[in-house]
Amino acid sequence: MNDIAATTGSPGEAELPTARRRSWLGKAVHALTLLLPGIVILIFWQWAAGRLIKEIYVSKPTAVAERLYELFSSGEIYPHLWTTGQELVLGYVIGVTGGILAGYALGRSPRLASIFEPYVMAFYGIPKIALAPLFIIWFGIGIWSKIALAGIMVFFLVFYNVYTGVRSVDRELVNLTLVMGANQRQLTYHVYLPAAAPYVLLGMRMAVPYSVIGVIVGEFTSSTQGLGLFIHEASSTYDPAGVFAGIVILLAFVVVANVLAGRLERRFLRWKAPSAHTPSEI
Amino acid sequence: MSETVLSFDAIRQDFPTPGAHSMIRVIDGISFKVGSGKFVAVIGPSGCGKSTLLQMAAGLLMPTRGGVRHRGRPVNDVNREVGFVPQQAQLFPWKTLAENVELPLLLRGVASVERKQRVASALEAVGLSGFEHYFPSQLSGGMQKRGSIARTLVYRPDVILMDEPFGALDAQTRMVMQEDLQMLSRAAGATVLFITHDITEAVLLADSVVIMSQRPSRLLANIAINLPRPRDVFEPFRNPGFDAAYEAVWSVFRSQIDIRQRAH
Repeated sequence: MNDIAATTGSPGEAELPTARRRSWLGKAVHALTLLLPGIVILIFWQWAAGRLIKEIYVSKPTAVAERLYELFSSGEIYPHLWTTGQELVLGYVIGVTGGILAGYALGRSPRLASIFEPYVMAFYGIPKIALAPLFIIWFGIGIWSKIALAGIMVFFLVFYNVYTGVRSVDRELVNLTLVMGANQRQLTYHVYLPAAAPYVLLGMRMAVPYSVIGVIVGEFTSSTQGLGLFIHEASSTYDPAGVFAGIVILLAFVVVANVLAGRLERRFLRWKAPSAHTPSEI
Repeated sequence: MSETVLSFDAIRQDFPTPGAHSMIRVIDGISFKVGSGKFVAVIGPSGCGKSTLLQMAAGLLMPTRGGVRHRGRPVNDVNREVGFVPQQAQLFPWKTLAENVELPLLLRGVASVERKQRVASALEAVGLSGFEHYFPSQLSGGMQKRGSIARTLVYRPDVILMDEPFGALDAQTRMVMQEDLQMLSRAAGATVLFITHDITEAVLLADSVVIMSQRPSRLLANIAINLPRPRDVFEPFRNPGFDAAYEAVWSVFRSQIDIRQRAH
């Protein structure tokens, strides 16, 4: 056998340059630059409240922090959190599952796609928010109307991503796998699913804020419990600290969900971002 | 004469023209045979349907007229007894090199222990030992191509179909790959059907060169190349008899190139 030195070099040489591990100090500096804009805004807010704008309109960070502490220490917020949490998780899971299944089915079957694609696209264009009052009538004032609203927003987003992902699979790669001896099930497992994975994960990540919007809009429209209701009530009783406290909780949820989704992405897409590289920040 | 493995019988292929409702004839009656253990190169101007012939041999495309037989059996469905090495390496980007090479064995239900052994020896044969756990994106173009060839050799297909496999490589890598392919196919006694547009490559590698014409393509000639092996791919002109063999192919092929230039 010939040596392969002509183009490739030795294993060691061909290895991608290992990313320089950031030093402890470098990490701290990086974290600081990341936090700096937020800190500046908070300080400005704190300073401006009562000086530039009346506090009754915008509250101030310390008041919001105080309110958050009260809400948690008195336990007042927990029932709302529990309700909204349930709605978010169920709406998200149902929407993602439905989106993946439908997107995959239509992506694999040109016949199904030619029948259903125009319908799906037409429904995609409907502003889902406009359905909120109807959903309350159909699914009641409880959690299910909010789950339906969040679910349908998530569904379309995930559906569209998965559909595009499955359709973009290289035909030649599929043919090659068939010649290698794959049956349909093996083709799904070894080619279609991994090829669609980046699209699925991207859809799942993009869907997180949409599920929050769906749930909160639903709760704004009509509900008996939940963070949306809490914010709504706070705003209608001139309590900006309460409004911001609610928003901070939602913010925390979205950030945590985003970090989890990013982890999942890195875990499954190891082959995309070679492990030697430091993954990009969210 | 060795046993016939693949035979193309009066192949005709029409493709619909985009937009119009008419059909365009790409291949117009091509017949030739590929003998067992032989290396057959197919050359022709671009767009003459060379790759289409491979698709037919793999059972991925049915000819409009005529048919392909593999060891006497008509190819009507995906032909799993061939191996296909495409123009681009087409390794699965989500699998490591070893997993890529292992896949055909996995799909064919080969037991785990044997899979490991065969993957290791296939990777060694193409000089990629030590790269098992690399993802394709971490390998150079030439290494990916080697991986692609290993993935085909590993299940010992009856015929190896190669579609301009070295077209996208740089000149040096290409010569090294040609040398390796010559040695590997001789060692394995493999039957190879090799598409190229490079006359030198065809003459250096093949036992016979099939020359196709412009679209609608017909068979212009099927020329036996009787140069002794192993052949020197790095300095083609040093092979005794190379000039005559090249001339034999070129004298047929030049007419096609002249037509092209007049058409422009």
